[in-house]
Amino acid sequence: MNSDSTHHEHDQQSADQHATEHGAAAGGHHESEPIEGGRVFTHLMEELGDHHELNIFFGHFDILPVILVDDGLHVYPNVAAMEAAGAYTLQHPDAHHKLVSTTKKDAAGHPATPSLDLSITNLVAYQFIAIVLVLGLFAAIRGRYTREPGAAPKGRLANMLESVVLYIRDEIVAPNVGTIKRANGLMPFVMSLFFFILVLNLIGLLPGAHAATGALGVTAALALSTFLVVQYIAIRDAGIGAWFHHLLGGAPIFLAPIMVPIEIVSLFTKPFALMIRLFANMTAGHIVLLSLVGLIFFFKSWLVTPVSVSFSVFIYLLELLVAFLQAYIFAMLTSVFVGLALGDHAHEEHH
Amino acid sequence: MDAVAFAWLSAGLGVGVTVFGVGTGIGRLAAAALEASSRQPENAGDIRTTMIIGAALIEGVALLAGVICILLAVKS
Repeated sequence: MNSDSTHHEHDQQSADQHATEHGAAAGGHHESEPIEGGRVFTHLMEELGDHHELNIFFGHFDILPVILVDDGLHVYPNVAAMEAAGAYTLQHPDAHHKLVSTTKKDAAGHPATPSLDLSITNLVAYQFIAIVLVLGLFAAIRGRYTREPGAAPKGRLANMLESVVLYIRDEIVAPNVGTIKRANGLMPFVMSLFFFILVLNLIGLLPGAHAATGALGVTAALALSTFLVVQYIAIRDAGIGAWFHHLLGGAPIFLAPIMVPIEIVSLFTKPFALMIRLFANMTAGHIVLLSLVGLIFFFKSWLVTPVSVSFSVFIYLLELLVAFLQAYIFAMLTSVFVGLALGDHAHEEHH
Repeated sequence: MDAVAFAWLSAGLGVGVTVFGVGTGIGRLAAAALEASSRQPENAGDIRTTMIIGAALIEGVALLAGVICILLAVKS
């Protein structure tokens, strides 16, 4: 039993070692101590997320600016320049979840972290790339629509995008908000959400890259914008008085002490669920892939490889489906919430 | 067993219970949608849309439970 457990520990250790090597390759130029067992998962989750390096496929590009707020603003063009300047070093993510540390020490003797790290990390860079891609795609087909409004689309790109746009309008937005006219008003927001999330999800499927939608901060921002849009439309459409009256949930006034807290909580649960759903869906696929590939290192045997790889390919294709499905669901639920907030058609009776 | 072992155990059991509940829920949802759309194939599109919304909502709860299980497992 004893030898068995040491063997197991050895395996774990080597898996950790591998993870560390990967981390060091991805994260910087530092020798880092191996992570203790049980931390490998959290460690990799951190590694999957923010880096100070742009990585796509096998390339790691140290081209992202580092912006630190620590007794004033410090801006460096990249990590190498930051380290050359001497005040800050890149450290391997430790228990503090920070990548950058100063030369100063905190009270416990650990390297202190800057008070605010606003760096353009890889996830931010992916979002910029997604914005450029989406704007570029639509700018490319814009000309014909402005010259000849109502004309049939011409060319592969225009046909493809128009079919998606019309699908979003006619099948996702219009049935939920009631009329095509209202749908046209909501389309810019829903379409931005759909294409932004879709492109981010697809970037996340590139080897080496990571889905920015698999970070809670990103999905929280998306859900927050949905929340603001829904509340804005609710107030604009029905007035602030009706909005407050809606907090009663249709119950008589003496039930207000019970109904108002419930309705206020339900205001926030919807965007919260949106946030968690997108984050967890995009992260879950990566975790499953990680576990399947991790089997090879766990068993230390070539024999596991065919199983591991074939299952990984299957999960990868499933992730491709999920990438589209989650963008669809986010857009769909956004328009459902707007429809509920409008509240002057069939949905009204339901609550 | 120490607290860490209990955390791992509860995370594993939690995932199992979650998957059981969600599998049952989405299974029933899909079965009902399938029945409905085979009875009225002309409404299959609407039924599918409604089914996807329902599945997404059920899945949202499941993922919430999953996140809690992950937190249990990694905070040990």
